[in-house]
Amino acid sequence: MVNQKKTRVIEKGRLTELLDKLAQDYHLIAPVQANDVSFRRVESGSEVTLNYINSVLSPKNAFFPQTETLFRFFRDDNRGFQIEPSVEGDREQVIFGIRPCDARSLRLMDKVFNGQYQDSYYLNKRKKTTLVGLACFEPDETCFCPTFGIDPASGQDVDILFSDIGDRYLVETFTEKGATLLGKFAQFFGEPRGDEEQLRKARKAGLGKMKKLDVSAIADKMAPLYGGDYWDSIGLKCLGCGICTYLCPTCHCFDIGDVNLDEGGERFRCWDSCMFPEFTLMASGENPRPNRKTRIQQRFFHKLKYFYDRNGELACVGCGRCVRYCPVNIDISQIIKDIASGKAGND
Amino acid sequence: MTENIYLPRMATIQSMRPETIDITTFRVTIDGSDESERFEYKSGQFAEVSVPGVGEAPISISSSPTRPGAIEFSVRRVGELTNALHELEPGDKIGIRGPFGNSFPLEEMEGRNLLIIGGGIGLAPLRSVILNVFDNREKYGKIDIVYGARSPQDLVFTSEYEEWQKVDNTRLHLTVDRGDANWKGNVGLVPTFLRELHPSPENTTSITCGPPIMIKFVIEALNEMGFPSEHIVTTLERRMRCGVGKCGRCNIGSKYVCLDGPVFTLKQLKEISSD
Amino acid sequence: MKATSQEVQDSVKKLFEDRRISHFVGYEAGSDSLRVTPCFLKSGQAVSRLVWNPLCANNLAKYLLDLRQADGTVGILVKGCDSRSIVELLKENQIERDKVFIVGVPCNGIVDKEKLLTVLGISPGDVVAVEDDGDAFLVTTKEDKRRVGKEQVLRGECLVCRYPTPVIYDVLLGEAIPRLPWVRDDYSLVRELEEVSVQERARYWNKELSQCIRCYACRNICPVCNCPECIFDKKAPRWLSKANDISENLVYHLIRAFHVAGKCVDCGECERACPMGIPLRRLNKKVEKDILELFGYTAGIDVKQQPPLTKYQVGDLDEFL
Repeated sequence: MVNQKKTRVIEKGRLTELLDKLAQDYHLIAPVQANDVSFRRVESGSEVTLNYINSVLSPKNAFFPQTETLFRFFRDDNRGFQIEPSVEGDREQVIFGIRPCDARSLRLMDKVFNGQYQDSYYLNKRKKTTLVGLACFEPDETCFCPTFGIDPASGQDVDILFSDIGDRYLVETFTEKGATLLGKFAQFFGEPRGDEEQLRKARKAGLGKMKKLDVSAIADKMAPLYGGDYWDSIGLKCLGCGICTYLCPTCHCFDIGDVNLDEGGERFRCWDSCMFPEFTLMASGENPRPNRKTRIQQRFFHKLKYFYDRNGELACVGCGRCVRYCPVNIDISQIIKDIASGKAGND
Repeated sequence: MTENIYLPRMATIQSMRPETIDITTFRVTIDGSDESERFEYKSGQFAEVSVPGVGEAPISISSSPTRPGAIEFSVRRVGELTNALHELEPGDKIGIRGPFGNSFPLEEMEGRNLLIIGGGIGLAPLRSVILNVFDNREKYGKIDIVYGARSPQDLVFTSEYEEWQKVDNTRLHLTVDRGDANWKGNVGLVPTFLRELHPSPENTTSITCGPPIMIKFVIEALNEMGFPSEHIVTTLERRMRCGVGKCGRCNIGSKYVCLDGPVFTLKQLKEISSD
Repeated sequence: MKATSQEVQDSVKKLFEDRRISHFVGYEAGSDSLRVTPCFLKSGQAVSRLVWNPLCANNLAKYLLDLRQADGTVGILVKGCDSRSIVELLKENQIERDKVFIVGVPCNGIVDKEKLLTVLGISPGDVVAVEDDGDAFLVTTKEDKRRVGKEQVLRGECLVCRYPTPVIYDVLLGEAIPRLPWVRDDYSLVRELEEVSVQERARYWNKELSQCIRCYACRNICPVCNCPECIFDKKAPRWLSKANDISENLVYHLIRAFHVAGKCVDCGECERACPMGIPLRRLNKKVEKDILELFGYTAGIDVKQQPPLTKYQVGDLDEFL
């Protein structure tokens, strides 16, 4: 196997031009300043902002859009239908500026969309996308990715990693996909000068104080807490909105619906949230999760136990979005601490 | 290109047999030559049935794979999709995705007595295993079918009871919650009736399906009568969408009812966080 | 003088001891020094958790709906805006007056933490405490103490607040505040949009509302959005799917604005909750202005006033008929 790991540098001044070129040849998705920072399609480098810790919505939208047409159907003369699968999103993509936490989340999402049944909509986009990560040297107080074995300054789950080391970006390639992309734009990149590792080390100094919580055996620790009083006050406080689930990079619940148009219609899928009251409501009127306590319990058990039971990894990447944006400040890092310390069992 | 798991195949409704005022059995064939032969399913599985423009819902297959040529769904009119289905006519087309889910443990059941307990529309998935074992009768011990509904008018598959009772070493025990002037059979809830029948757990696998509350009390009764939990089998219902374990909504603990179920033994259910 | 956290704690402890309340809803410290979170107490044991400071933005009145089933009386800490939501809930008979014990705290303004961090050029980890200091906020950081003028960092709804003192209460902690000195034009945000063309307005709202992800936080956090089954959750008939496109988003927001017309007190929670930074207050403020001009009515002041959209009078304007 050819060693993919290649190291290059790019002068900061040339980045905009590189992004311009990328936008011409690919569907380029990069961080854009709107009311807040979001990953959007850009057509030129000048639209891109690198002045952010992380975006509000994770880049999962690029693989698992909030609303996606599955197929169109047309009524035929035979009292039946012709079905035409959608080819939306079937294009070569580059995501520029994805953070290591979000990159890890894609590996976790892969486990959901792979398996016995292959979700071709997601997997096709994954195959056709090159991930260009941006190392994180100044995380937010709500970030806690080291908890899950994620190094915010490394390229564990991306094809190429850009690291801002001062006057230039260190550019490292990890996969064949990354090497291919880099090769197409080789004119932008130069040889490393030799002081890059030192500069990077200096930039990483601030990462030592990041929260690293104890999640050892947390799936087992959670089992006896099911149905316990600990979740009462959290369920009461919770508003039952979809902020945590929609912003979460590993949340994958969706709904499927039909829309009627003139000669037929379309079937689409869209994000859904286990926090919504009718999520598990059956047509008969039965609801196995009839209140906010059972629903909030489901969220934390899924992230810290059920996903682990099925896939061997915890479904949280410590990106901190749910903590930052929950209007009532429900904090998963606090809940993890309470479970690890045993406080959750004594409440 | 991998198969697209969200695309339905078209199927034609061959006939619709009303069972009760709100339950109808649809007999369908998949369009395309010999497609019906190639829709290979096992007893206990379900399909995602759709009416394009209305939606899709998971429906248990009530026919048995031992009787190929067509697939049957017994559908209760209760929500958007099921209402739309009931408005269709033979000759109309619907979409089918599947078969999905696991199946009844027929191999483990071989050589054992079978106690099949159903309530209301719950008899629909059970019919698949009933017909299946009837078609392989010599592989199984004695068969007792305990079935009940709210009233005599709510009993399903009544046109088939005569045929079932003719099968070797098979008994059908019927009950209703409320009788009427013409009802000569037992009156009482299924779990109560079950206790009165006091079946022996000896070398017996029991399979139950019905409203959640009935399943709960039936399982309690079976436990008390000494049935071991690895030989108590049930099939569960949950709201589903994708049918393939991705949309996240049908889980009970770490298990997805559409993927790891809908058939579970009581032993398996006890091991997962209950919902 | 503004009440302190200690005064709140002592007051609540006494209420439990005197058996005046069986539950209390207040604020406690959140996950960092710039956040508070709702606190639910069932006894006087843990009152030391309660806080009252310029970060206490949440409108806790919503929780009174969840606690209707609770045995005994539910105590609650309310600012001026929150108390007005309670007035609206009482008008609608959503809660019973004698099952609620209202601890009112006059409010000298709540800080918008994003504005604070930007103006001071600091990050949340630097902050130790934020206190009220008359016409300014006193921010204690790890290095020093800084005073920052209120008008720069107040939440939008505080900049136009005319009811800093609760309008309904069983006990008032701290001195009543007759008016806030910085409040001038209530409706400048609305007038800016009223003065442009309809096309401009459409462009503005299409742009803002196309960012909506339909998380429903704005609806769920709003005390007067309290239908047991929201029209947008209904399956039959299904008014909206969960797909988010601009058409569905517009329907949702416009209908919600009309559903809370005459009940919205501009507590600002909807905008605070929105993760996409959509200026929701602007929409609701327009409806509030229209209600004032058409009916001379302000929500959340007097329990005995009947909301104008629930009654018909012969003189009512009907130019849309």
